[in-house]
Amino acid sequence: MKLREMAYSRSGDKGDVSNICVFVYDQADYPTLVEQLTADVVREHFGALVQGTVVRYELPNVHGLNFVLDRALGGGVSMTLRVDPHGKAFQSLILDIDLPGGRR
Amino acid sequence: MLGAPTPVLSIGSGSAYANDRLAPAVAMADSGRVSVMGFDCLAERTMALAQIRRRQDPSAGQDERIGALVPLLRGYLSRGGKVVGNFGAANPDAAYEEFAARLRKVGLLGVRIGVIRGDDVHDLVTRLDCALPELGTTVGALGDRIVSANAYIGAAPIVDCLREDAQIVLGGRLADPSLFVGPICHELGWDLTDWDRVGHATMVGHLLECGVHSTGGNFEDPPYRLVPDPHNLGYPLADVDDGSVVVTKLPGTGGAVDELTMKTQLYYEIHDPARYLTPDVTADFTGVTIEDLGDNRVRLSGARGREWPSHLKVLVGVDQGWKAVGEMSYGGPGCADRARRAEEIVRARLDAFGSDIDDLRVDLQGVGSLFGDRLVGGEPTEVRLRLAVRTPNLEAARAAVHEVELLYFGPAGGGGATGSVVPALGVTPAYVPREQVRLETEVLET
Repeated sequence: MKLREMAYSRSGDKGDVSNICVFVYDQADYPTLVEQLTADVVREHFGALVQGTVVRYELPNVHGLNFVLDRALGGGVSMTLRVDPHGKAFQSLILDIDLPGGRR
Repeated sequence: MLGAPTPVLSIGSGSAYANDRLAPAVAMADSGRVSVMGFDCLAERTMALAQIRRRQDPSAGQDERIGALVPLLRGYLSRGGKVVGNFGAANPDAAYEEFAARLRKVGLLGVRIGVIRGDDVHDLVTRLDCALPELGTTVGALGDRIVSANAYIGAAPIVDCLREDAQIVLGGRLADPSLFVGPICHELGWDLTDWDRVGHATMVGHLLECGVHSTGGNFEDPPYRLVPDPHNLGYPLADVDDGSVVVTKLPGTGGAVDELTMKTQLYYEIHDPARYLTPDVTADFTGVTIEDLGDNRVRLSGARGREWPSHLKVLVGVDQGWKAVGEMSYGGPGCADRARRAEEIVRARLDAFGSDIDDLRVDLQGVGSLFGDRLVGGEPTEVRLRLAVRTPNLEAARAAVHEVELLYFGPAGGGGATGSVVPALGVTPAYVPREQVRLETEVLET
């Protein structure tokens, strides 16, 4: 199943770093999110869009995860020639991830 | 037996960026619901744009909405409502002059305005030859290409102005949450080294600084997420007390303040949630609990704080010459192939400028402009070619736009050429020891 079926997200920018936070609609899905939406899964999905590391922080208090993507904005909002300099659309790309095990 | 009522400060958002709507701010001001409003007018890109305006005209570089905004706040200000904002952008004194002139024009005399100076640290970063980690170089190595440097500054100078009875406080690169931390700590009597309380105030500031990002902006995703009246989103406001806050919005405004919108804003542009660095505090949002009270009211509590960072972040402006963008559309069968053919033509034509072009990219919007090869769909029915160039050579920038226009004579059916050439001023972070940033405040009367 697509992540979009179970979770929502928002991406933001600071310099050349993008962060994407992801929250489940139903807290019963949180263990599935933690187990399946790993930093490696996100890194694989974003491919060459991210030139640096992908670090994941768990947010159990709000049933969410925060991903920090280093060197992901082509040098940052004022440097890049990309169409979407802020990476605002990254929040939608992450929701396209197919969770390999589906809902637990 | 009842004790004294817990002090509560009601504070509202008035702006989230340099070109935000005025009407929701006026609605907030006229509602009588808040006694202080924070106006965040800046972001990385808008700070760069303000520096460009100041380079073109040394008397400019302040927020461009002041003239329109001040008359609309007349009633609020005449009732004693307070305003804190980074309207100064690249030029705090120009913001003061414009506020004062507009206040006099609408007959508001004797208004005390605090001006905060000293976020301009161009000399300091030059003297320290600061590292520019995202560029892998230093300030000194870039020489006169460094055109500006503004430190993110905190709540302390805001509190200084409010203590001197300023009703309006204006600064340059005041950090977004600090616009709220200052008045919260001043009005509720909290010390700026009371880290947990400053952490709490910083959470409130973070929830208000982005305006409609807390009320349903940048949020809808049909059919999964919808909010009422998205054309009329209200700005958020907060009732802050010692240890908790209730965030809401004005009755009759669109959008939603609920558990979902609060979560997305709370962790927006946060990296390590235990270490959100601002000039005021190392805030810790890992223990925050969110309680949806219904009716567009959400209570949050549990933010903590530790000592402020030893260094202040600085946005260093780097002259990068010019940025040119040109676009042309193709549609129907084979449109992507024709756009790729067009790409070959513009690349070949711009080869003449060689190493004068620092960066060049071509995207096919409708195919992979946002995500490259990460998502693969079927054959598009239309695509829009976009050429973007960065170059110190104005002639090369103009040529790039012209070449896209000349694609009217390229592959069949190119239509709708547009183009622009603008100054390219990049901003990149640096860090300076906080004690070396000398701030000064002055409270003046109109």
